[in-house]
Amino acid sequence: MRFLASALVIVSAAFGPVAWADELDEPEEAVDSAEIELPGGECLACHLTTDDKLGELWKADVHARAGITCVTCHGGDDTKADKDLAKRPGTKYRGALTPRQVVDSCGGCHSDAEYMKERKPLLPIDQLEKYWTSWHGKLLKEGEPKVAQCASCHHAHGIREVNDAKSPVYASNVPATCAHCHADAEYMREFGIKTNQYEQYVESVHGKALLEKNDVRGAPACNDCHGNHGAAPPSVSAITHICGACHSYNAELFLGSPLAPAFRERSLADCVACHGQHEITHTSDSWLEDEPGGACRKCHETGDEGSELALYFADSMESVHQSFDEIDGLLTEAETKGMDVTEAEDYVEAARQGLMQARTLIHAFSKPVMEEKLIEISANQAAALEAGYSALRGLQERRRGLAISTLLLLLLTIVVAIKIRMLPPTE
Amino acid sequence: MSTSPENRDRAIVAWAKDRYPIAKFAEWAKHKTVPVGPNAFWYYFGGITLFLFLIQVGTGILLMFYYKGSADTAFASVRFISAKVPFGWLIRSVHAWSANLMILSAFIHMFSVFFMRAYRKPRELTWVSGIALLGLLLGFGFSGYLLPWNELAFFATKVGTDIVGVIPVIGEPIMYVLRGGEDVTGSTLPRFFALHVALFPALLTIFIAGHLFFIQLQGIHEPGTWKAHPEQRKTMPFFPHFFMREMLLWLITLNILAVLAVYFPAELGVEADPFAPAPAGIKPEWYFLATFEFLKYMPAHVGPMEGEEFGLLIISIGFLGWCLVPWIDRGRNPKLTKIVMAAGVAIIVFLSIMTYRGFAA
Repeated sequence: MRFLASALVIVSAAFGPVAWADELDEPEEAVDSAEIELPGGECLACHLTTDDKLGELWKADVHARAGITCVTCHGGDDTKADKDLAKRPGTKYRGALTPRQVVDSCGGCHSDAEYMKERKPLLPIDQLEKYWTSWHGKLLKEGEPKVAQCASCHHAHGIREVNDAKSPVYASNVPATCAHCHADAEYMREFGIKTNQYEQYVESVHGKALLEKNDVRGAPACNDCHGNHGAAPPSVSAITHICGACHSYNAELFLGSPLAPAFRERSLADCVACHGQHEITHTSDSWLEDEPGGACRKCHETGDEGSELALYFADSMESVHQSFDEIDGLLTEAETKGMDVTEAEDYVEAARQGLMQARTLIHAFSKPVMEEKLIEISANQAAALEAGYSALRGLQERRRGLAISTLLLLLLTIVVAIKIRMLPPTE
Repeated sequence: MSTSPENRDRAIVAWAKDRYPIAKFAEWAKHKTVPVGPNAFWYYFGGITLFLFLIQVGTGILLMFYYKGSADTAFASVRFISAKVPFGWLIRSVHAWSANLMILSAFIHMFSVFFMRAYRKPRELTWVSGIALLGLLLGFGFSGYLLPWNELAFFATKVGTDIVGVIPVIGEPIMYVLRGGEDVTGSTLPRFFALHVALFPALLTIFIAGHLFFIQLQGIHEPGTWKAHPEQRKTMPFFPHFFMREMLLWLITLNILAVLAVYFPAELGVEADPFAPAPAGIKPEWYFLATFEFLKYMPAHVGPMEGEEFGLLIISIGFLGWCLVPWIDRGRNPKLTKIVMAAGVAIIVFLSIMTYRGFAA
């Protein structure tokens, strides 16, 4: 019996820390579980039974998962089951918050560096500061209640992480979230701004990339140009920097071009002046043509220096395209005849890359810069053509070789056939 | 003695005769005969298959000078062979076409043997070793198809090894070993390369030796009617009569190969990307199309079995029956012979229809 007791003591000592560690793990597992105990105390006793939706939203809310309770935003006493006691004076009960109260309430925690450092250290704490620089914030300060505040975009309950695809501020959901107000002509009437931005954006190259190709990392949504919490229309001087955040080389070329000071002088909004705002479409070489509606014709007259440069660009692009057509035809012919044209295709790929770079170099508005690139493109195109013609020459050589070998084999076949005929007859 | 070429030849023969039983071999060769008759043409396909195999060996060795059998380098090395190596395109195209013609020729040889009932006693083992040879040739085709590491081959191998995985109990382990993991990846390529250039050639050499040994031992099958009518018996000497005719066909086959290689060179396509989605229209090589198509027609379930499992069971039973034909039809029951011959016709019709549907799909 004493032996058994000793053994139990040894086993307990050996496995004790493991059991303790298991106990430590338990609360973490509970947080991860879908069935967490919702924070909210006695408030939930009424609000979850009267409003199922609220319960569902609160379950998914990042704040609920962080253990933040109803009273943090709404005040009151969530330890009391009785409604009157829970909302009694002295409990700072506020009920549903006004727009201004929402901003102050969210900002109260989210701009508190000490508080956020403990809970979400990687989250920025400048949202409130930026918000007051936005048109939304400025108007709210002036007492306008219809402007967007935190809950307008993030929702009041059911707030999710930004990278959660169900969040209204997830990249591909942002345009629809902004459009909720900005595409509503009735709602926006008193603010005197256009309401067709969403309609234009959806059809734009950016809109298609984000909403159709779901390029959430590459394609910009409203906030990428206008800002998130500091949302405002960009100033004319800021346009190049905003577009340049992604199209950096284009912006660099433009700012170093002779057009940049000329645009400033005329208060033209750099990129937007030629490419448009929300409706930005794929560029086309036809924009360079000296035709009414052409991008350059907005400012330049036929025959002036700018128009001549545009025509040079247009002719160069046309010539590059014609060469590509010739190469494509040649390589298709060689390939359908069974020749290997992979080397030629490498040159074509290099030339196409060059064409893409040439299109970017248009933003330098410089003939010598473009000429340099065109020399490189035509060298690659010439090499592709040579490789294509060489493939066709190779085909001729192969066929000549085949004819010779067929002739030799035929001769050999005839010799063998004659030999067979000369053999003595079979039994 | 002068050292004229004629005298030198005689000296070499004398030297060899002194050491080896050449006279015995010459005597044996002189008496070796081949039956002559309306079906004699079909006898040549065994030799054509052998000739194409020798071309495979030759071109295969040349390809190995430049081929690099790993996922990172395979595609580029095949591209280099096709584009840069002198006559590399020709060697590769001849290798690819010769493989296809060899399998076609083996099929023709097998069915001609079947319809001439040459599988009967005493040639049962010749028949079985022939089937094993055809199986090995199909293995060569399957393993070689992946080696250029292009997109089509990659996904066709995925589908092909998936089918192997359907076999109950042993299927999954075999599939795992073939793939070198759960899926077709870069680890699969060296395995297929090893099978293609090491294991299969070794096995094939053994089986070809056995197959030819049986033929030499028992002679070529003669039409059954000659037993009843010995006066109809007509033969020709193997050397030089049959051998020269065979050579004639080899020359013609070589020329066909050259024409195919020049006018329809082997394509390379796009490099395989294991992470890319499968492109539309993935099909195996023509000699697997019938099986592939047949399995596609299987319902999801047949009784307690998965549809594909059931399909493979039917194919396995058919294959087993085909192997056992010499023991099923021993020539004692004309009615049974007729049934077996009708089954052979049905198999050809079935394979043709399924292959055609596979191409058309």
